[in-house]
Amino acid sequence: MAVKFEEKFGLTVCHIEGEVDITSSPDIKKAFDKLISKKTPKIVINLSRVSYVDSSGLATLVEILKNMRTYGGKMRLANLSPKIKSLFEITKLEKLFEIMASEEEALSNF
Amino acid sequence: MSVIIRSGRSVFLENLSMETKKTVIIVPSQTESIKKVSSKILGSLKPYGVSAETLFDIRLCTEEAVRNAIVHGNLSDKNLLTTVSYWIEDGAIFIEVEDEGVGFDRGALPDPTTEDNLMKGSGRGVYLIDRLMDSARFNESGNKITMIKKLK
Repeated sequence: MAVKFEEKFGLTVCHIEGEVDITSSPDIKKAFDKLISKKTPKIVINLSRVSYVDSSGLATLVEILKNMRTYGGKMRLANLSPKIKSLFEITKLEKLFEIMASEEEALSNF
Repeated sequence: MSVIIRSGRSVFLENLSMETKKTVIIVPSQTESIKKVSSKILGSLKPYGVSAETLFDIRLCTEEAVRNAIVHGNLSDKNLLTTVSYWIEDGAIFIEVEDEGVGFDRGALPDPTTEDNLMKGSGRGVYLIDRLMDSARFNESGNKITMIKKLK
């Protein structure tokens, strides 16, 4: 699993590659803790290279969102595979997250 | 005849005498065991031409069930064992996951999809199993789950 951040149009885009699960969750949390401590206002997480998410991975994304909301930060998810998107639908987490079809869409009007 | 394969502290026992081949995997209750179990099960499914979506569901539900057994059932006590048995019957895979804990009341688990629980950091594992498997049942004490998924 790898987490990379880049700046695009003044926004922070995060690319996660690999699996977001019980094994990788602690490292993902750690990577985002730095951004959250800096009160990064808007983050787009591009999940195009994520092949697997489990309940720990979903919980990690919820925790990042929760932590961002404490200072008014906003997060969008982009490029979810149909299978991973279905996990957000089943768990109703689609109501909590802004899920966009593409990174471009996530970056526009954000 | 049984074949016992040892890998570290994990034990893989394949009973070859039964008409339906049943494999039993016994692992110590540590999170490293989770992937060992799911890899073994997914590896066994290679000859069956199972779709990527079904494999995803089987992997996810196996890992959720084993994780629950290790973390909530056996309280991550490495001296307690988690036993996983699986076999294929009538075009479906049957997976049983049992821990040595006291069990729990499935009915008492809160619904993770309600407004109040959406922000919670845990409680989605059993819910996902219920939704993604064709059948998922706990025994009376709650320390063993039997899951069934049609292979397609």
